[in-house]
Amino acid sequence: MILSETLTKRAAPYLACLGLLLVWQCASLGLNNDSFPTAVEAIRAIPSILGDKESLINFAASLRRMAIGFGLAVVISIPLGLMMGRSRAVASFFNPLLMVIYPVPKAALMPIIMLWLGVGDIAKTLVIFLGVSLPVIYHSFEGAKAVEEKMLWSGAAMGLSAPQRLRRIVLPAALPEILTGCRTGLVLALITMITSEMIARQSGAGNILFNALDMGQYDTVFAMIIIIGAMGIGFDALFERMRARLVRWSEQQLDIPLSFS
Amino acid sequence: MIEIDHVWKVFQTSARQDHLALSDISLAIEDGAFVSILGPSGCGKSTLLYIVGGFVQPSRGSARMKGKAITGPGPDRGPVFQEFALFPWKSVLGNVMYGPRQQGMKYADAEAQSRALIEMVGLKGFEDFYPKELSGGMKQRVALARTLAYHPEVLLMDEPFGALDAHTRTRLQNDLLNIWERDRKTVLFVTHSVEEAVFLSDKVVMMSRSPGRIRQIVDIDLPRPRRRTELLLDPRYQRYVVDIERLFDDGSEAELER
Repeated sequence: MILSETLTKRAAPYLACLGLLLVWQCASLGLNNDSFPTAVEAIRAIPSILGDKESLINFAASLRRMAIGFGLAVVISIPLGLMMGRSRAVASFFNPLLMVIYPVPKAALMPIIMLWLGVGDIAKTLVIFLGVSLPVIYHSFEGAKAVEEKMLWSGAAMGLSAPQRLRRIVLPAALPEILTGCRTGLVLALITMITSEMIARQSGAGNILFNALDMGQYDTVFAMIIIIGAMGIGFDALFERMRARLVRWSEQQLDIPLSFS
Repeated sequence: MIEIDHVWKVFQTSARQDHLALSDISLAIEDGAFVSILGPSGCGKSTLLYIVGGFVQPSRGSARMKGKAITGPGPDRGPVFQEFALFPWKSVLGNVMYGPRQQGMKYADAEAQSRALIEMVGLKGFEDFYPKELSGGMKQRVALARTLAYHPEVLLMDEPFGALDAHTRTRLQNDLLNIWERDRKTVLFVTHSVEEAVFLSDKVVMMSRSPGRIRQIVDIDLPRPRRRTELLLDPRYQRYVVDIERLFDDGSEAELER
């Protein structure tokens, strides 16, 4: 009974994917539209993309920018968010700035950034950086704010200085919340990576996608969408596994599997 | 020796409203004494404890420890809070070792000492558990061990058993007394339970509310070591409890009349 239950839980996400592909296949056959290839055609186009050296170089360029943008954002946003959460002065200085940046689609900043920094790696990495920063800052801020005062007092009585308390008490205590922000940030990094390449075409996975669209290679377009989607699922599953290991001491337990891990 | 010298504390509750939490408190606590601060909720008894801990600064007056003004927290004064305030990302052992490691003790020494303390508070076998896996009583035992681990001269206990059920509470009171009998550290113990205060203390400081001030100080002249079962039958113990409760009743009536 329990075995079959876990089996269903494991199989459910794959069944959902299979169902989606099936609906796609039927819809495509029914509509019979040139710009809407069948699922089978799209999947068949995947090996040729992944086998092509040129497109692999593009993917590598995309992933490099994504990794650098995400990494820099995390390294800068976590301390900033934590300091905002513990110091009213820091919070009231940065809050208005963030409130202005928050609702602006980061891709909308792309033309200006391109104007200043060109269409190369720096501009695109900066857009990814901006996209990732906000959720990480926000969740670090919320996490730091929620840290129990008495826990910090206990640390102070042991002789921890204020900077030590931030690093050795606030950071670990807020870690579950911080990692929730990072998880959102990781998906946003993928999204901003593709959009930045859509606006500034030069290299990258987004470049392949939109060039194919221009040339009417619709099976490639849909194949790329599948690949990018799979990348998102893969990154998220890897991250979720790491997150669960880091915060296994934490009270919160999610029963619903929100990822493929 | 802790000296509290004409301490006042005003909290700003809103832009225009001030709340007078402590009003002209003076108190001397001798070394090795077990002193309870007893009073209704909102009488500022915890605030007084936080001032001695250095977590809160008085608005006026000063607190001194061994003649030196208290300006902030320090390892000579170890707090134990009602909320436990354990580090949830550390195991029981990790929590207890935290203080000694922070003080620069070698890992092996800190571990050996912490394991002994964990055994002393009755948690042998739970060294590798995380706080979330423990009951409230066990968490408070860990918190006590964690504070004892860095050898504070004074224990500051802020309604430590207030969140526990009656049975657990009684057991922890007994265990605390047994542990205290070994080295007789100075203890400042905040509570709103008359029985708890009389059972544990050498001296009970009665506080009254709005503004928080000392109403009376009662010396508890009962023999030690104290056994709860014997004490409950002892007329002298009963007398203290009744007298203190009567004093509080008079006080609340007087406060109502005003």
